[in-house]
Amino acid sequence: MFVTKAMTRDVITINKNTNILQAKEIMAENTIRHLPVVDSENRIVGILTDRDIRSAMPSILLDDYEYKKAGEKLTELLAKDIMSTSPITVSPACTIQDAILLYQKTRHGAFPVVEADGKLIGIVSVQDMLDETTKVMGIGEPGTLLCIIVKERVGELKKIVDIITEENMSIGSVLVSQCWAEGKRAVFPYLFSKNVVPVKRKLKEAGFTLIEPSQWYLDNPLEHG
Amino acid sequence: MYDERFLLHDTGPYHPEHPERLKAILKGIQDAGLLSDLTVFPAVSPEMKWIEAVHTKEYIQRFKEKCLAGEPILDDPDNKMCKDTYNTALLAVGGVIDAVRRVMENELDNAFCAVRPPGHHAEADKAMGFCYFGNVAIAAKYLLQKWHLSQILIIDFDAHHGNGTQHIFESDPSVIYYSIHQHPSFAYPGTGREFEVGTGKGTGSVKNSTSLPGNSDDDWKHLVERDLLPIFDKFNPEFILVSTGFDAHIDDQMSNVKISTEWYTWMIKLIMELASKHTDGKLVSVLEGGYVLKRLPELAKNHVEVLLNHSCHRRKKCLSQKQ
Repeated sequence: MFVTKAMTRDVITINKNTNILQAKEIMAENTIRHLPVVDSENRIVGILTDRDIRSAMPSILLDDYEYKKAGEKLTELLAKDIMSTSPITVSPACTIQDAILLYQKTRHGAFPVVEADGKLIGIVSVQDMLDETTKVMGIGEPGTLLCIIVKERVGELKKIVDIITEENMSIGSVLVSQCWAEGKRAVFPYLFSKNVVPVKRKLKEAGFTLIEPSQWYLDNPLEHG
Repeated sequence: MYDERFLLHDTGPYHPEHPERLKAILKGIQDAGLLSDLTVFPAVSPEMKWIEAVHTKEYIQRFKEKCLAGEPILDDPDNKMCKDTYNTALLAVGGVIDAVRRVMENELDNAFCAVRPPGHHAEADKAMGFCYFGNVAIAAKYLLQKWHLSQILIIDFDAHHGNGTQHIFESDPSVIYYSIHQHPSFAYPGTGREFEVGTGKGTGSVKNSTSLPGNSDDDWKHLVERDLLPIFDKFNPEFILVSTGFDAHIDDQMSNVKISTEWYTWMIKLIMELASKHTDGKLVSVLEGGYVLKRLPELAKNHVEVLLNHSCHRRKKCLSQKQ
């Protein structure tokens, strides 16, 4: 899935001459933490974050006189004085997976989405990435999670999906765990149903080992190996 | 409250929520010789305004039309239908409301409603998890609007979270919803997390105790003592409605917690003691889940026995006061 599907399209932006107290207010009003800075052509020239603003605020350790003076200075401070001028941006062809990995690498909470000509078309935040992941996993929908232990060989997943399909059940998602006891994997189908007893029985009859997903989370595979 | 017409809701083969459940429950109560001490009464049709107090008119209409047109499911394959499903669901609501009325009018001390279909998953506009109308939620609305009560407590110990009941009342501070259930990451319907505490004016009116698969009696006793008892420090209910589900039982495959028959007796005893203290014993218990035919007779018998004992206590108390 591409970031364009998850991103916010109506981006709230500022220009490089926006006063930072005003920028702070915009962030508070809209409960956002990233403000792309654009030129008159909507091309990105920088990004201002709540952290940039916090760092610019006078320290509470200053005495009254110094604090007041620093506060006055703030009224003259503009976005261009404290913004990052080389923000990490992504292209519309960037996938959600890319964005998640990029977040893991950079820890930046949001990435402006920018066309090849530098024009800003959206912003994708960690929140957006989580929302999409939640949808993909199906966890916002009512259902039941199973955990099936399979041998690492071709065709096992097909057998599982076939049995679920025969039972006329709707699959929300199927996650496959890569890290499991040697030669085995854990498959987690999330089924949109309360009534999973018959499908569990059929899977067992077909020779699959079913364990409680919670047992897998507790990382105790060998007991069931 | 029991009605043979509850058996007409036919979910077909291989469905856990089937008519035999009620037969098993009735047999347990009958074989223990309790029937002669009980007032057994049938369901009556409800006034539609009570159902409309919880469910959207569009949903009620859709349910009725689809059912009478012979459609086999409503909203989701979990919710199987036959031509009698709609009318049976109406009767379940009517029976529960009538039980509440009888308790409010002091005709009965308390009541157990052995109903089908169950109700706590039903949303305002959607059938879910074998449930079509929110029996308990509708009874709570009836108490609020007809009897002008302002403090109602719903206790739900079905193994699954009662998403419908919670959502209907989560912004209403006059109804407290307490539920103990298997953790939503491991059980249907995936709601009822501990951080769900109500919304807006109702913040604080929802309390969820979540239990991991494999948990047993001690864990469930601990959760109830930790999470349910403190509710009474701040809230003095005038009426208690209980969503009674027996599916956390160790033998029930519909959940993976391991609760014993004894826990269920412990739980309803505790609830009755709280009811005696706070609501003068006014309580109506309504069946939700519970699917093991060989366990249901004893579970139901124990449940009703506790209600009956408390009923006797209340009568003795009244008698001694009169003397």
